Amino acid sequence: MQQTILEIKNLSKSYGETIALANFSLSLKKGEVLGLLGPNGAGKTTLISILSGTLRDFTGSASFKGQDLFSDRRLKNLIGIVPQEMAFYEDLGALENLMFWGGLYDIPKKELKRRALELLAVVELSARAKEPIKKFSGGMKRRLNIAIGLVHQPELLLLDEPTVGIDVQAKVNILDIIRNIGQQGTSVVFTTHQLSEVEQICSRIAIMDKGVVLAEGTLAELIRIVGEKEIVEVSGEFSADAFSAIIRQSDGNGMEILSVTDNQAHLAFADSERIPAMMQHLFKHHLPISDLKIKSPNLEAVFLKMTGRSLRD
Amino acid sequence: MSRTTLIIGNDIKRRLRAPMATILFLIIPLAMTALIGMIFDPGSGGETKLPAIKLLLVDKDKGLAAKFLVGAFDQKEIKDMFQVTLIDEAAGEKLMKKGKASAMLIIPENFSDDLAEQKISTLEVVKNPSEEFLPGVAEEFANTMAVGFSAIVQVFADELKIIKSASKLNLEAISIAELTPFLEMARIKIIALNSYLSPLLLQLKTSTTTKPGKTAKPKGFNIFAYIMPGMLIMFLLFIIEAFMRDIQNERADGKIRRMMFSPLTTRELIAARIFSGWLMGVLICLTAMAVGTLIFSIDWGNSLLVLILVVVSCFWCAAFFAMLNAFFKNKNQAGAFAAPIILVFAAFGGSMLPLEQIPQGMRWLAKFTVNNWFITGSQEIMAGGIPHGSLIVLSVSGLFFAMVAMIALQRRLST
Ligand SMILES: Nc1ncnc2c1ncn2[C@@H]1O[C@H](COP(=O)(O)OP(=O)(O)OP(=O)(O)O)[C@@H](O)[C@H]1O
Ligand SMILES: [Mg+2]
Repeated sequence: MQQTILEIKNLSKSYGETIALANFSLSLKKGEVLGLLGPNGAGKTTLISILSGTLRDFTGSASFKGQDLFSDRRLKNLIGIVPQEMAFYEDLGALENLMFWGGLYDIPKKELKRRALELLAVVELSARAKEPIKKFSGGMKRRLNIAIGLVHQPELLLLDEPTVGIDVQAKVNILDIIRNIGQQGTSVVFTTHQLSEVEQICSRIAIMDKGVVLAEGTLAELIRIVGEKEIVEVSGEFSADAFSAIIRQSDGNGMEILSVTDNQAHLAFADSERIPAMMQHLFKHHLPISDLKIKSPNLEAVFLKMTGRSLRD
Repeated sequence: MSRTTLIIGNDIKRRLRAPMATILFLIIPLAMTALIGMIFDPGSGGETKLPAIKLLLVDKDKGLAAKFLVGAFDQKEIKDMFQVTLIDEAAGEKLMKKGKASAMLIIPENFSDDLAEQKISTLEVVKNPSEEFLPGVAEEFANTMAVGFSAIVQVFADELKIIKSASKLNLEAISIAELTPFLEMARIKIIALNSYLSPLLLQLKTSTTTKPGKTAKPKGFNIFAYIMPGMLIMFLLFIIEAFMRDIQNERADGKIRRMMFSPLTTRELIAARIFSGWLMGVLICLTAMAVGTLIFSIDWGNSLLVLILVVVSCFWCAAFFAMLNAFFKNKNQAGAFAAPIILVFAAFGGSMLPLEQIPQGMRWLAKFTVNNWFITGSQEIMAGGIPHGSLIVLSVSGLFFAMVAMIALQRRLST
C-alpha cells in the first residue's frame, strides 16, 4: 500500500453567494496521477488556489505527508503548481524564466541550473532555451508553463487545465510529459474538462461538480457505476422538455435516462434488444432526430450520469 | 533576503534589456531643458536663434515703473529676441487683428503708482491666435518680468515712494533701462548704482538668497541648471510610476499569484518592488544629471549631497507610487489617476513654471510636492548649501508612504 501524500478533508469555500467548494474531500497516494474532471465553474481552480496557499477564508483542512499543509511555509518547496494562465516573463528566455521562478524556492543555485537544463530537454525546448518566450508558439508556452512548476523538484504537482487552447499534437506531447512525471514518483493532480485526457494518463479519476466529488476511482471502477449497458446518444432539433415528454409516454422498461438537454439526450439500456422499440417510439411521436449513436459504456456516460450535464459549455 | 534580491535583479535586468522606454524618459527632460533654456537664454545655449518676436508695447502709465519695463526691452540680449514697437492701444489692436505682431503687451494706467503702493497691478498680454509659439514666449517673458518686478518693488517699496515724491530727481542718470528679467542682472546693475542705492543693497541680498534659483553665483547664472531639476523630477515621477504600475500588471496576468506559490512572503515581494523602482530611479536620475553636466555645463554642486538628495527623492517616488498602487483596484485605474497626479505635482511644485511665478496664494501647495523639495534642494546644493529641509521632509514622508504601502499592499496581494 502506497503512502498517502495529500489528504483533503471537507474543504468549503464560497464567494459571497456562490459556493465554489462544498465539503470537498479527496486523498492522493504517492506516485498517483489523479485526473480531476469537472465542467466550467465546478470549483477546480478554487481547489488548486487553496492548496497553493494563494486563497484564504476557507474552512476544512488539507494535510501533506501528515502535516498541516498551511502550517509551514517551507512545505511550499515540496509542491509545484502549474496555473491555468501562462504567467511568466515573455521578454526573458526559457532558461532565464526557469532560473527566476525556481530561484524563489529554497534550492541551491547549481542544483537549480542542472534541473532547469534537464527540464528544458524533457519539454523539448533545449534548442530555444535562450530565445525570448514571446516568440514561442502556444504549445511551447504551455510546455514551459509546466516546466516552471517542476523546476524546484516538487513531490506533488498540481496542474490546472494544462492543455487548454493548444492543438492535438501539442496536447499529446504534454500528456506524455505528465505521465512520465507520475512514473518518476511525483504525485500529480490535474484538472481538466477533457474526458479523453484522463482516460489516457490517469491512474485515478475524480468527477466533481458544484464543489463536491461525485465519484472517484479507477477508470474501470467508474465505468462499473453505469454498469454493462449500451449508451444511446440522440441528437436533433428538439428541446429538453419535448424529449422528456415523449419519453414519459413510453414504457421505459430497462432504460435509464442519463441526461437530457436541448438538442441532445443520452439513454442507457441494460438490454440492447430494447433499443429498436424505443427508437420506434421516438419516431412515432415525430421527434426530429438528426443523429443516433450507440456506444459502449465509457467515462462520458459516467460523467453524464453523475452530473446530468455534458462536459462542454 | 535572497528571494528579494532575485526579484530586484530580475526587474533591473528586464529594464536594461529593453532600454528604449527608459532612454526615452531620459532624453525627454534633457531635450525640454535644452529647448526652454535656449528660448530664454539664446546667448549661451548655442547657435539656435529664434526669429525676433514682433512685440507691440502700449504704455498707458508713462510712469517710473513703466519706464523700467520699456527700458528692459532695450537690454542687449533682449533686443535680439524682441522687435519692440511703442504704440497706442487702438493702433496696436488694429495691427494685432491684421496679424502683424506676435503679441501686444499693455502696461496699465497707474502701473507705477499701484506698484509703489504695493497694490496688485496687471500686465496684459494679447497674443496672436494664429501663432502658437512666439506669443507664448512673449507671455512667458512678460511673466518673468512681472515676477522680477514684484520682487524688486517689494524690496524697494519705501524708496519707490520717496523717488516718486522726489520727482525732481534726475532719473535719466540711473540707467534702470538695463534692468533684465533675471534678478541676477538687476543686481549687477544695482551694484553699479551703489552710490545712489547703497543702503538698499543689503536688503536685496537677503531677498535673493531666499530665491536660490535666481541667486547669482560668482561663476555666473546657468539657465539650464535652473530649469533641469524641475524637468528631471517630473520625468522621474513618470518613470517610477510606470515601474511601480508593474505591480498591477503582474497581479492581472497571474505572475504575482505564481510568485506566491513559492515560500516568498508578500512583505519580501513589496520590499523588492519598492527597492527596484527606487534603484532604477536613482540610476536614471544620476545618468541624466551627468549628461546635463556634459552638454549644459551644469555644476550640480557637492556630489555627495546630490547623491543623497537623489536617493531620498527616488525613494519617496517609489514609496508613494507603491502606496497608490495598493489603493488602485487595477491597472486602468492606476493609469487614469497617476498621470493627473504627476501633472498636478509638476504644476504646483515648480516643474512647469518657476515657483516664483505661481500665484502667492497657491504657493503653499508646493510644499506638498516632491517636485518642490527636489528643485529647491538641488538649487540649495548648487548654491553651496545643505538642503536640510528637503532631505528631512522627503525621507520622513517617504518612509511613511513605504509603511502604508507595505500594510495596504500586503492586504491587497494576499486576496
Ligand atoms: N474571484 C471570484 N469571485 C467570485 N466568484 C468566483 C471567483 N472565482 C471563482 N468564482 C466562482 O466560483 C465557482 C468555481 O470557480 P472555479 O474557477 O473554481 O471553477 P473551475 O472549475 O476552475 O472552472 P473552469 O473550468 O471554467 O476553469 C464558479 O461559480 C465561479 O463563478
Ligand atoms: Mg478553472
